Amino acid sequence: MSKPLRTGVIRDYDVKSPSVKVGLVFIYLVCFVVVVVSLFPIFWVALAGFKDLQEYVSSTSIFPSVFDIDRYIRTWTQLNIMRNYINSFYAITGSVLCALLFNGLLAYGIAILKPRGYKVVNSLIMFSLLIPATIGIVPLFMNIQNLGLGGFFTPLWFAAGANAVFVVLFRQFFESLPSTIIEASKIDGCSQLQTFFKIVLPLSKPIYVVVTIFAINAAWSDFLLPYLVLGDGQWQTVMVRLFIFSTQQTVTADDLMRSVVFSMLPPVIFFFVFQKQLTQNIVTAGIKG
Amino acid sequence: MKVYFRLISVILALSLLLVACGPAAPSGGGDTDTGNQGGGDSSEVTVAPPSELDDISTDVIDANLTATISLGNWPPDTAPDAERAFFEGAKAIMLQQYPNVTVVPAYFSYTLTNYVPMALGGTAPTLFQPPFTDPQLLISQGLVADVTDALEEFGILEKFSPSFIEMLGDENGRIFGLPRDGYVLGMHININLFEEAGLMTEDGLPDFPRTLQEVAEKGQIIREQTGKAALAFMASETQGGWIYTNIAWNFGAVGENALLIQDADGKWIANLTSEPAIAALEYIKSLRWEYDILNADATTTTWGSAHTLLGTGEVAMNFAADDAVDNPTAQNGLAVDKFAIIPFPAGPGGAYALRGGTCYMFAPNTTTDQAVASLGFLRLIGMLPFLDDDIIAGMRAGAAASRERGSPVLPRTPAWNDEEFIAMQRSIAEEYSNVDMRLYDDFFNSLTDGSITFRAEEPVFAQELYRTITNAIQRVITNEDADVFAAMERARERFQEYLDDEIN
Amino acid sequence: MLSSPSQLPAKGEFMDKQERLGERSYKWIYDLKSWLIMLPGIVLFMFFVWGPLLQSVHMSLYKTRNIELVEFVGLQNYIRVISREDFTQALLNTLSYTFWSLLIGFMIPIFLAILIGETLKGKGFIRTAAYIPNILPGLATVLLWKAFLSAERSGVFNVILGYFGFEPMVFLSQSNLVIPIIIVTATWKGAGATALIYMAGMAGINPELYEAATIDGAGIWRRIRYITLPAIFNLSSTMLILQIIFIFQIMYEPLVLTGGGPDDASLSLMLLMWRYAFGGNMDYGRASAVAVLIALLLLVFTTIYTIVNKRKTNWDM
Repeated sequence: MSKPLRTGVIRDYDVKSPSVKVGLVFIYLVCFVVVVVSLFPIFWVALAGFKDLQEYVSSTSIFPSVFDIDRYIRTWTQLNIMRNYINSFYAITGSVLCALLFNGLLAYGIAILKPRGYKVVNSLIMFSLLIPATIGIVPLFMNIQNLGLGGFFTPLWFAAGANAVFVVLFRQFFESLPSTIIEASKIDGCSQLQTFFKIVLPLSKPIYVVVTIFAINAAWSDFLLPYLVLGDGQWQTVMVRLFIFSTQQTVTADDLMRSVVFSMLPPVIFFFVFQKQLTQNIVTAGIKG
Repeated sequence: MKVYFRLISVILALSLLLVACGPAAPSGGGDTDTGNQGGGDSSEVTVAPPSELDDISTDVIDANLTATISLGNWPPDTAPDAERAFFEGAKAIMLQQYPNVTVVPAYFSYTLTNYVPMALGGTAPTLFQPPFTDPQLLISQGLVADVTDALEEFGILEKFSPSFIEMLGDENGRIFGLPRDGYVLGMHININLFEEAGLMTEDGLPDFPRTLQEVAEKGQIIREQTGKAALAFMASETQGGWIYTNIAWNFGAVGENALLIQDADGKWIANLTSEPAIAALEYIKSLRWEYDILNADATTTTWGSAHTLLGTGEVAMNFAADDAVDNPTAQNGLAVDKFAIIPFPAGPGGAYALRGGTCYMFAPNTTTDQAVASLGFLRLIGMLPFLDDDIIAGMRAGAAASRERGSPVLPRTPAWNDEEFIAMQRSIAEEYSNVDMRLYDDFFNSLTDGSITFRAEEPVFAQELYRTITNAIQRVITNEDADVFAAMERARERFQEYLDDEIN
Repeated sequence: MLSSPSQLPAKGEFMDKQERLGERSYKWIYDLKSWLIMLPGIVLFMFFVWGPLLQSVHMSLYKTRNIELVEFVGLQNYIRVISREDFTQALLNTLSYTFWSLLIGFMIPIFLAILIGETLKGKGFIRTAAYIPNILPGLATVLLWKAFLSAERSGVFNVILGYFGFEPMVFLSQSNLVIPIIIVTATWKGAGATALIYMAGMAGINPELYEAATIDGAGIWRRIRYITLPAIFNLSSTMLILQIIFIFQIMYEPLVLTGGGPDDASLSLMLLMWRYAFGGNMDYGRASAVAVLIALLLLVFTTIYTIVNKRKTNWDM
């Protein structure tokens, strides 16, 4: 039998009962609704992008009257979204590197090195997990300006290097590494830093993949700090641009919807390519928390 | 390994996608250069600049002035080509007049919320355009540059009236900006819906409402005949209160009934429960529940979306001013011959209209050189109050660009009380006119014939007052049973508390 | 890959090193080096997280002029902020957000996880579809929902209602509905991802438990009640506190969808902070006071949570 075995509450022997069969039909119905509810808004916005302003504002149909891809192309070229894509790429690259390096090293210290007093740092990090980051946004913004760091990605990159969630994810993974290997490397004469790069890092690929994916998603989606830091300069990312579009009246409603599509396209593609890593690794990483 | 493979395939997929979508996508190489190209990597302007610009002398004015200026409100890439061509053309002349000045377009459109972080962060554009309500706040917070010297160099200071000095100066007499133009609040009309509703006079003109009562009654006809909402009402954030104050004046909330009064000790009193103040909110409430003419989304309608509604024919009327005629037409697609502006409808307490304006101000780190260069550019586009040949040519070019992009060419409400200058603006508007002036006569006549009394915005903490009143408006237009007096009494308490906190 | 045991140095070498340095100073140097490794991360945390938090507290005690501290005013900012009516309103709203989010946002992922877990065919697809909203940028989804919830005839929900012959409805301007509606949009985005985590938790249940329970005569409902739910209990209490922290941060959703209206019915504490800071007042002192109050509230919540949670585990023991 190629049919997979049931792993849930309902066992194979339950399925014989008619009421359970009805229940299963019901379950599939609910799941169907879930799928529709999850995906419909995305399809809708893609369709809405084909409408012109008049149609977008007035039409009482889900579907556009014509599928004119030129409208997308025009918005794309006129608003020069390409430049923002490139900027977002810069922002993401630096953020991911910082997120992996600094959070990883910090977690390494807490989980493995454990120097005297490390517990203080650990509890501070756990504490900052509880406090929304937006709360300190005003003074953070001031500090960035006082240091003259506004206008470029630098603060955004480094901000990704101070992410409590990432530290906790790393820490949990590092703690699960067999301590004998670490001890062995110590005896091997490796310094702490060498141990990290030669032993810990190669063993921790799964968590590095997860944090990379998270960091990419965060760097792509974030707009408040990027907006405050990058302002109206030439380095605006896609989301900063979208934020400005949505608060200033410089683009029309239909162009705004197409910009929404442009901002969702890369994550969706990314998701389909990395689907497995996302659904599997995130779960395994998350479950330990 | 698989991960890397996938990463590469993502990059490939993405780049393919980008190529597919962006045939004209630029290389983006100009980004890192010092700004010489500025927005040079934006899409190409295909229309030639107005020929009127050719009349401007391209002689070098100042070869030594070295500065980089970023100019806010530069027409974005989505703006009509004619407008962009005008600015690009002006920029080209600028580079000849001031060979060492670099002009960087900034697509920034001022809102206080957007401006503050940029000003603090040093990314605000050199030149930007706040409304008359904000200069004092910006000056007191140190968020704008002192440009007294530059203004003096151009001889603009002597043109300043005392009220401008009060508005744009600090207590030491330093000046931080200059007026751009004024506006008077009136009502925008989408003629298509009036035609559809059969509200036309014998001369083929729309049968405009003249009073607030007529707005309600004619609005009802429009709704019944066309099925569309008749009136856009932007009851969100601070904007609902902004419109409310003008309605309240026309119900008689002026003089001793004004919304904000000072008692004998100079203490500010929130006078929001006077008879006219209550009547005005009753009126707004009746527009929703009795006449049902407001657009359905009023509580989230903003200044911008109200213009979109009017421009796309979702509503027939919108309380808006004569400096925003571009929004429903050129930007949101209403044909210029289907648009009109009429005076703010009168009420039982009189006919008042808010007169305000927009000024030019400068980012806090602006140097005198940058300010001089920026003023040089304003002269080019005809926005300085002089009448030399170059400025006249700039004004004509601006009018030509407006006509070209389908925006009504109208006389502007002048910021400067200079008869000659105003007369010149009017004659140029007539020369380039693209509209049936009968649709505008009522409005422009009312500015001069005394049928409308001008008022400025409420004297203190206007934005906070507007926000408080907007809350009251939202309350009564979302709940049919809400008590108008209770809503206003609550607003009064809240705003009085605010006044006592802040100034009393 | 790893150094094989044969490559290990002789034990003596290691001992020599220790003896040379002496046990104590070796430990001291080890600590120092470890701290140096952690230092960059700590500095970043100080700059981006801890510092700004402390500064918020500091700043909340001052009268401010844009970003400068003008004069020390003690607790005056707090008094002013709390005494104003919009604070009470925002506090109640935030509690209401929390209530609805626990009612809707907390339960739905658990249901989803159980239901999806029972499917065989198409499980992967359903899981993927439910997860997708989570990877979309938050701002983009809020703008999208704004179009859905528009009260005009062209609003997407009204278009759908129209297909079924219903009259258009208003959504966001109903003050008693606005918070649940906003919570539904937030749940749409987050539920699939949370369900995924629950599913992983359920995957850890040994199927033999179910079989054993069946032999003891337990039906499907009793199996869920006595096996599935207890198995995810710890997980769900973690998700609960995360949800509360998340919902206290709600700001963009009301900011973009309603601006906090109608009549402040959807104003959250975080949005109130935004208003003080960026909404035209530029009053960073009071904005900080609101921020500190939010942090204190969260601290109270999490403390209660930890205490309750500890007791619970003790009972279980």
